[in-house]
Amino acid sequence: MRVTQGMISNNMLRNITSSYSKMEKYLDQLATGKKITLPSDDPVIATKGIGFRREVAGIEQYKRNTNEVNNWMDNSDAALDKTTKALQSLRELSVQASNGTYDKEERQNIAKEAEQLKEHLIDIGNTNVNGKYIFNGTNASEGDKPIDYEDGEIEIDSEGKKVMIEVAKGTKLQANVEPGSLFNEEMFDTIDSFINRLGEDNDESIDKSIEELDGVIDNTINARADLGARMNRLELVENRLDEQEVIAKATMSKNESVDFEEAITDLITQETMHRAALSAGSRIIQPSLVDFLK
Amino acid sequence: MSSFHGLEMAKQALFAQRAALNTTGHNISNANTEGYSRQRVNFESASPYPVPGLNRPGMTGQMGTGVETGIIERIRNQFLDLQYRAENSKSGYWESKSDALHRLEQLMDEPSKSGVSHTMNQLWESLEELSADPDSTGAKSVVAQRSEAFANALNYAGESIESQRGDLKDEMGYAEKKVNSLIRQINDINEQVKQVETHGDLPNDLYDKRDRLIDELSGIVSIKVSYEKSSDRSLDIADGIATIELADSHGKSFGSADENTVLLDGETGEIQELNVSHADMDAQEAVSIITVGEQEFKVEDFQAKGSLMGHIHSYGYLSENGDVEGTHPELLDDMNKMAAAFVSEFNEEYRTSDKVDDEFSFFIIDEDTHGVKVNDKILDEPASIVASDEEYGDMASKLAEVFETSLEDLNGTSVNKYYESIIGDIGIKAQEANRMAENMNTLRSQVHSKRSSVSDVSLDEEMTNMIKFQHAYNAAARSMTTTDEMLDRIINNMGLVGR
Repeated sequence: MRVTQGMISNNMLRNITSSYSKMEKYLDQLATGKKITLPSDDPVIATKGIGFRREVAGIEQYKRNTNEVNNWMDNSDAALDKTTKALQSLRELSVQASNGTYDKEERQNIAKEAEQLKEHLIDIGNTNVNGKYIFNGTNASEGDKPIDYEDGEIEIDSEGKKVMIEVAKGTKLQANVEPGSLFNEEMFDTIDSFINRLGEDNDESIDKSIEELDGVIDNTINARADLGARMNRLELVENRLDEQEVIAKATMSKNESVDFEEAITDLITQETMHRAALSAGSRIIQPSLVDFLK
Repeated sequence: MSSFHGLEMAKQALFAQRAALNTTGHNISNANTEGYSRQRVNFESASPYPVPGLNRPGMTGQMGTGVETGIIERIRNQFLDLQYRAENSKSGYWESKSDALHRLEQLMDEPSKSGVSHTMNQLWESLEELSADPDSTGAKSVVAQRSEAFANALNYAGESIESQRGDLKDEMGYAEKKVNSLIRQINDINEQVKQVETHGDLPNDLYDKRDRLIDELSGIVSIKVSYEKSSDRSLDIADGIATIELADSHGKSFGSADENTVLLDGETGEIQELNVSHADMDAQEAVSIITVGEQEFKVEDFQAKGSLMGHIHSYGYLSENGDVEGTHPELLDDMNKMAAAFVSEFNEEYRTSDKVDDEFSFFIIDEDTHGVKVNDKILDEPASIVASDEEYGDMASKLAEVFETSLEDLNGTSVNKYYESIIGDIGIKAQEANRMAENMNTLRSQVHSKRSSVSDVSLDEEMTNMIKFQHAYNAAARSMTTTDEMLDRIINNMGLVGR
């Protein structure tokens, strides 16, 4: 086949251009760390990439939600701890008072202490974390204290319900202590009746108060156990989410990220070929017959 | 035979070799001219003497009488031209499609942190955040902002696609003008060629020019070229007048009403102009028909492939069943469909709460422009967003779920999956166009190579020829000197005995 200088130089140019574009591709990959820059590079990777990003974003969001639930539960647990202690103190007082050796003055002192403990319990019941009354259930931010104490009258708002927060797809956990299960009429009636009975002089009724207080303490312990069980469940969910996050990120990376060793090797190989092409081409296109004719 | 016959023969030889040297010089000068085919002088030996007949002289015959320069012809293989133009058309088509799809991909910008899917994820996150803390005004503000960002992303995508369509329309206009201008230029050259051929010459440079123009034309629309003799006195090897018809990708002419579609009729010199017409369809402009002279074609019937067709297929055209088809309009359609389905489900879900008015629309879609907007009330008073209906944060949860719900309007897929498929679709189309463009380019290069091999100037070859002709010239001059000396002997030194 007849070959002219024009053909050879055109071919050389074309090959060098194609070599450059391959090098550009590898440079792109190394600079961005991704196998693809446009969907057309690999439509399947691109489509999956969108899905995986969504997955990772979802898991991160669920982790934020678990933080929120942790917030509720930790604060509730701390409050219940104090509640238990306060109730224990009341019980001790009641045991003391049931001892028939106390006279009227001493009983009045006990009544004053019991009153203080009652107010303390009301404060705990009105615990406010970050603008939310955590024992008010779903009405937490509506501004009303769950327990309203005015002029010696107690008003309890127990309309709030369970706070359910989504911590994984389709899984909702109750984050709060159900209102009306603990800081309710039973608790405060028991305390009020105890205080009243201190004013009387009846040992038997104080014994009854001890029983009633025991009942309230049991309630508190049960509520705390329930909360504890839910906290354990939350921990399991958090562990699972952590694992899922690692897996999702790894999958996303396997899908899109470039293998650096491979890309660098490819780039170096391409560079070498490029130099060879340049060298060979320049040797061929330079000499012509004109150089040799006298 | 004449005494001066030898001189005459040498003189003819000198002229012939000089003409050959001229041609060689011409070839060397045009070594890098685009589309130039090397030229060659045909030497023919002159008619021998004596001519056979009754009165033929009784001398030794037949004596050769030297060289005659025949015509100067160009070395060109017309079959290769045919092949090249076919590949060029296909190449033109796929290159223009690949180009348009590449720009589309870049604008959609997926997967990344700045595409529509990112705004969808962010909106979902903000709704989930709100469901965990439904009374927080901060969370509600974020939802309002992210909703606006999502609407803006959708609108921006739609506007950018429209703007690219505008560019494509301009390109189609240029292509149209180019076709008509090229046809006119080819017609002019036909005229000039006719003038030269009638004298029995070959206008090689005009042929080259005409071939270059036809090559360019073939990139825009696929054509079929046929040649006719320009006049009775033209040489048989003359190319003649070119007639250009539109052809399909196999090189066969097509036309409506059983007539071929002629762009340029060589014999009559008549030109039919190509025209691309547009029409509106549902507030969207698209290509309606293509006319060539009197013939009208619907886009699906117009089988000439080339960059013009590539632009039309991307820009959008009215199809047989009255829809607008084309890469860009179809993408716009899909995006609008997705937005409409999402907005309708989202709004409906929001209205299920008693705290929300039955007529209230969270997102609003403009019927004419398909633009998406967030209700002003939400933007001005984010605190008015209802996050809890009956349970803690349940409305926000339900709204977040809309992204994953299978929607009837989207043929049973969710918004997330539908968007993924949109991007996958563009990716596959672009990948195919890129691959085809590359393949066509390779094929075209191969034919171009073959063509170059036949017609291009090789400097080494011309150098060798130059030496050849130079030697022949010198030898001819020498033979003239010899004849001259012989004549001198006869004229000046014969019959001078004893002087």
